[in-house]
Amino acid sequence: MSTGTRRGRYGTVAASLIAGAAAWEAAGHVVSGAFWAPLSATVETFIETARSGFLVRQILSSFQLYLTGLALAILAGAPFGLVLARVRWLRVALENYIMMLYATPMVALIPFILSIMGFGFAPKALVVFLFAVFPVLYNTVEGARSIRPELVEIAYSFRTSEWRLWCDVLIPYTLPFTMTGIRQAIARGLVGMVAAEIFLSPSGLGQMIMMGSQNFDTPGLLAAILIIVLLGVALMDFGRFLENRFAAWRGYNP
Amino acid sequence: MHTMSRGQARIVMSGAGKRFGTLEVFRDISLEVGEREVLAVIGPSGCGKTTLLRCLDGLIPLDEGEIAVEGERVEGPRQGVAVVFQHFGLFPWKTVFDNVAYGLKLAGASRAEIQEQIPEFIRLVGLAGFEHYYPYQISGGMQQRCGLARALAVKPRVLLMDEPFGAVDAQTREILQFEMLRIWEMRPTTMVFVTHAIDEAVLMGDRVLVLKGRPSSVHEIVEVDMPRPRDRGTLLQPRFAELREHVWGTLMADARRAERELAR
Repeated sequence: MSTGTRRGRYGTVAASLIAGAAAWEAAGHVVSGAFWAPLSATVETFIETARSGFLVRQILSSFQLYLTGLALAILAGAPFGLVLARVRWLRVALENYIMMLYATPMVALIPFILSIMGFGFAPKALVVFLFAVFPVLYNTVEGARSIRPELVEIAYSFRTSEWRLWCDVLIPYTLPFTMTGIRQAIARGLVGMVAAEIFLSPSGLGQMIMMGSQNFDTPGLLAAILIIVLLGVALMDFGRFLENRFAAWRGYNP
Repeated sequence: MHTMSRGQARIVMSGAGKRFGTLEVFRDISLEVGEREVLAVIGPSGCGKTTLLRCLDGLIPLDEGEIAVEGERVEGPRQGVAVVFQHFGLFPWKTVFDNVAYGLKLAGASRAEIQEQIPEFIRLVGLAGFEHYYPYQISGGMQQRCGLARALAVKPRVLLMDEPFGAVDAQTREILQFEMLRIWEMRPTTMVFVTHAIDEAVLMGDRVLVLKGRPSSVHEIVEVDMPRPRDRGTLLQPRFAELREHVWGTLMADARRAERELAR
């Protein structure tokens, strides 16, 4: 079978993508324009909105929101996770709340955020933050706790200070786990971004989806979704790249 | 002759005892280890050899008695005492060079001092050319060479070895034993060498401390009156076989008795 070879694999992928595009195009011509649009019309709308500068503005607006929420999630989640892993009573006190919040679909909290914080940029960034922070926090705590006690003992044996123990041992050991959390946060943050832009004040790509839907502009709607899909794929790849970059030494088997 | 060359006592254990909760691990260990002496410690698994070593390093406190190193009571890990761990304990995210430099860096050595001193220790253990490898890229034997270099790099006056060759294959183990003897001859220090291999205990030690019982205590201290430097030839001497048999007999007396009971 040719699928075993690299060339065969690329061939299959290309064929699959072409078949998908063809099905999209065909469905657009069969199904009513209110529900679906052909790929060609979607791409046309895409190019139009891109030319007018509207698309770029919306993407930048979304990205600003996304990156703010994600950055805050990483900056808060990773250090706090390390502290929780190291300070037992704090972890015991908080771990149930963290598990509850991690398990909660964050969309459920949006009405509260809306009624408390209103419609600005801040509540939307908070939504992205809430979507993204728990994977970072959770993976960091679990990672830092999984360190072999032997490695910590060795550090003490060489007369480490608590500060050096963090720099030399705890942080480098935990980094790959945090990266796994960040990869998940990258994906969840994107969901948070779209949710915030649809359920709070409309802006960015979420607004494009809303506008397309309300105006029965199906090509516009599909164009916005297509962009989000492409962004999602690119960001996931970037996340996996980051994760691998920081986990080179995981090939080690103690 | 040989006894004289041990020099002054560098480690003094007096009535040392340790328990974990209700489990008493060892009790009443009183012993001195000289400046240039290798004390091999052997005993059945679970007898507290490693626990004793951790107490010597000050990683865990004693419950009874006292251990003094260089005349000072051990209250925590001391400067001048270094450990080689059974499972190497290398930091997997550090290269060989950075692992070897770890102790020196913690001791506050400058970058220049590290660049100047570390290569010597890497050469000493035979790891030249592997400076930039990560632990997972080298064999178990090489990882332990790295662990040994890390301990030697802080120029310890007391070297604590926790079954250092217990996790490598038999051939590598033999190679490392003779390497260790060679390195010790170059820089003789006080060494406490915990092992569960009788051959290794007799080969390495000036004396062999046999721990036995529950809780364990000093069962016997066997003088290894064989000259240094020791090498492969040492293994072939009749005296080596005698001593090994003697330690074996001491260690296995209970096991043999139990076997006989079963056979009856």
